[in-house]
Amino acid sequence: MNPLALSLILTTLLAGTLITMMSSHWLTAWMGLEMNMLTMIPILMKTTNPRSTEAATKYFMTQAMASMMLMMALTINLMYSGQWSITKMTNPVASNMALMALMTKLGSAPFHFWVPEVTQGVELTPGMILLTWQKLAPLSLLYQMATYTNTNLIYLSGLLSILIGGWGGLNQTQLRKILAYSSISHMGWMLIILPFNPTLTLLNLTIYIMLTLSIFMILTNTFTTSMSSLTLMWNKTPAMTIMLMTTLLSLGGLPPLSGFMPKWLMIHELTKNNSIIMPLTMAIMALLNMYFYMRLIYYSSLTILPSTNNMKMTWRFTNTKHTMTLPTLITLSNMLLPLTPMISMLE
Amino acid sequence: TLTLTSLIILTLPIITTLLQNNKTNCFLYITKTAVTYAFAISLIPTLLFIQSNQEAYISNWHWMTIHTLKLSMSFKLDFFSLTFMPIALFITWSIMEFSLWYMHSDPHINRFFKYLLLFLITMLILVSANNLLQLFMGWEGVGIMSFLLISWWHGRTDANTAALQAMLYNRIGDMGFIMMMAWFTIHLNSWEFQQIFLTNPKNTTLPLLGLLLASAGKSAQFGLHPWLPSAMEGPTPVSALLHSSTMVMAGVFTLIRFYPLMENNLTIQTSTLCLGAITTLFTAICALTQNDIKKIIALSTSSQLGLMMVTIGINQPHLAFIHMCTHAFFKAMLFLSSGSIIHNLNNEQDIRKMGGLYKTMPITSTAIIIGSLALTGMPFLTGFYSKDPIIETANMSYINTWALLITLIAVSMTASYSTRIIFFALLGQPRYPSLTQINENNPYLVNPIKRLILGSIFMGFLISMNTIPHTTPQMTMPPHLKFMALAVTLLGFTVATELNNMTHNLMFKQPSRMHTFSTMLGYYPTTIHRILPYLSLTMSQNLATTIMDSIWLEKMIPKNLTTMQKTAASLVSNQKGLMKLYSLSFLLSITLGLLIAL
Repeated sequence: MNPLALSLILTTLLAGTLITMMSSHWLTAWMGLEMNMLTMIPILMKTTNPRSTEAATKYFMTQAMASMMLMMALTINLMYSGQWSITKMTNPVASNMALMALMTKLGSAPFHFWVPEVTQGVELTPGMILLTWQKLAPLSLLYQMATYTNTNLIYLSGLLSILIGGWGGLNQTQLRKILAYSSISHMGWMLIILPFNPTLTLLNLTIYIMLTLSIFMILTNTFTTSMSSLTLMWNKTPAMTIMLMTTLLSLGGLPPLSGFMPKWLMIHELTKNNSIIMPLTMAIMALLNMYFYMRLIYYSSLTILPSTNNMKMTWRFTNTKHTMTLPTLITLSNMLLPLTPMISMLE
Repeated sequence: TLTLTSLIILTLPIITTLLQNNKTNCFLYITKTAVTYAFAISLIPTLLFIQSNQEAYISNWHWMTIHTLKLSMSFKLDFFSLTFMPIALFITWSIMEFSLWYMHSDPHINRFFKYLLLFLITMLILVSANNLLQLFMGWEGVGIMSFLLISWWHGRTDANTAALQAMLYNRIGDMGFIMMMAWFTIHLNSWEFQQIFLTNPKNTTLPLLGLLLASAGKSAQFGLHPWLPSAMEGPTPVSALLHSSTMVMAGVFTLIRFYPLMENNLTIQTSTLCLGAITTLFTAICALTQNDIKKIIALSTSSQLGLMMVTIGINQPHLAFIHMCTHAFFKAMLFLSSGSIIHNLNNEQDIRKMGGLYKTMPITSTAIIIGSLALTGMPFLTGFYSKDPIIETANMSYINTWALLITLIAVSMTASYSTRIIFFALLGQPRYPSLTQINENNPYLVNPIKRLILGSIFMGFLISMNTIPHTTPQMTMPPHLKFMALAVTLLGFTVATELNNMTHNLMFKQPSRMHTFSTMLGYYPTTIHRILPYLSLTMSQNLATTIMDSIWLEKMIPKNLTTMQKTAASLVSNQKGLMKLYSLSFLLSITLGLLIAL
């Protein structure tokens, strides 16, 4: 893409999210969300095949619907309370409508249908931006307005997200769709803890972003988008294969790795508030996620599947992709667990 | 003095057992003479009791104390035990003498005598027990000895299965006994009879039901009766001792012991009455068409036991006891005579192949005739003094009419099958092979039978004159009721004689359904013996393999889990990709969400 256009687009993307995160007036927040959405479309359409166009169209329509709903919620709020402050949406209709609009923007159930298709339709890099950067703005709004919403809706949506994220990913062979369902599931976890301890939502978001970025960058570096290409990764970059394995385990929430930290703290927080069945169900459903990560690990690192002899010489080619931030990210996503006491810093 | 004499009685046979000189030939004679002397000595306390009417309880050795329950070895010498012990010893003496002749050619005859002696000792423990623990020891002892003795010829499979059958049916009764013991421990904290009768508890239905079950098992009442006809696989002395006079009396004896409790509980009385009535009628029906002489006598024992139960049911335990004592005499004699017939006809037990023994075996046939007459209650023989009062009291008491009618029918059937035995075994032309070895000259055979004949004639009079009636007997009743027993018996005699005479002249048709019912013992063994084990075994097999293994371990969680997950996964990830559907779902979800939230 033209470097000038690319820089304009990327700065607009940055600006949109920052405007939303820094605003205290609903209208500017909404404006930031719109900017985000509009500038995401050319990013999604970086490659010009019809599939990407279709994905971009679907993304636009879904996000536009969500933004309309959000605007309606804002006007209802204005009608009943006469003010535009984000943290004081006391009217239940307005706050719940806004909640559901924001949930659509995040991609949590029952509004999750666009996530796998859009993620699958585009390249790995736009997909990465879609699943990581685009979560920041809506979550920051949710963080501020969640106190006046109906918590039953939040729990319902969260549990449903975890279930759908788990079950949906079981039937997939394309890596982008798997990561999309994983994102739905993680959104579920983040939503559930929102009424109890919003700090943990942000912690989960942070760690999730680190992990997803690592995985996407590993996949981009090795040009793998489906499970069949995963099986050939051992020859190209054995080190990255192993790193993929540990990062995937961390994404699933396995203890000595850093992905365990948000899950552990969330379950701790939930049990402190006397709810036992919900964290039990959540933890058991997270096992579904773990199953298909294990399947990926099995095919990439644990076994060597039959391949032609040509494929066994790919290590001879040098890597043309930038791997600049990858080591940092991988280290962070695997080894962060001992630093758990430091989350008091986030308070 | 009383205490000493009674203890000596018990120890005499025990010393013989302890000496254990099985290898010598004299062991048999020593045993027999020991029992004879024990009998003689046992008469002393009995006569003392008759003279002074003092009962005695001897409690000598403190065995153990469990929490608050004190267990000791104690003997109760009252009317029941003091009367029964000489009778049991007398009959055992006669039987031992008889088995010197009967089991003469058996190589293990010493062991046979040892078993008989052990049986006698356990029976005496049972009879003289003052607490339930000792009674239970005697109870189990007679059960085990009956098992060992029935399977004496253990090479024969029928004998083994019969012994097992006896053991199992007794065990079912034991469950009732243990329930009774447990109830008494929990509620009355004692197993001593004195304490039980003193405290006279109010709600005794449960333990008495247990007792009824135990007696039904031991005394072959209906429902637990098949073991008694099958027990005829044992040698004739065994049948005579165990299954006519002593062991099957144990059940009735224990019921009689508990009469103070049963007086107050009408439910138990009614159930005893009905159970006894059913038993006596059913076994009498079955005895009518049997062809094995020992089986007829065994079923006759069962029928008389039912009659004793009926007597207990109308609240006359003393009459039942007297009938028990008199019945021992003539039933043992019947068995001994049948043993003599069997051995003399070279082990022939089928009455269709006997006949005409009236002239060739005079003593035996006299014994059979006197025994049958005593059994049916011929006036002024032994049975009359016990059976007639029972029928009279039953007629005059406030009783279930159906039970009464059944009992009367059974009494007439008693006469019928006794006639049948006499007719087929003794009268008519011989139907056995011509080369015979009929020889009655052995004193060991003849003397016991002679003694028992004397007993059958006179003992009824002696016992009933020497007992003090505990309840006033009915003296006045309408003539037709007074003659009821006699009339019914005569009716049975005549009908049976006529029918049996017909077998000489007419050719019979196929046996009718009733006849088959009677011959097959009412189909009870054929149905129950297969069905109950089959049901429990198939149920347990189903439980173990199907329910446990295949359903619970395999299907319930693992397979169901996989199918559920696969269905869910394919459902969730199956998206059409049409935008309008997503918009529709968006609309619906928003509406529902707002409805939930408001």
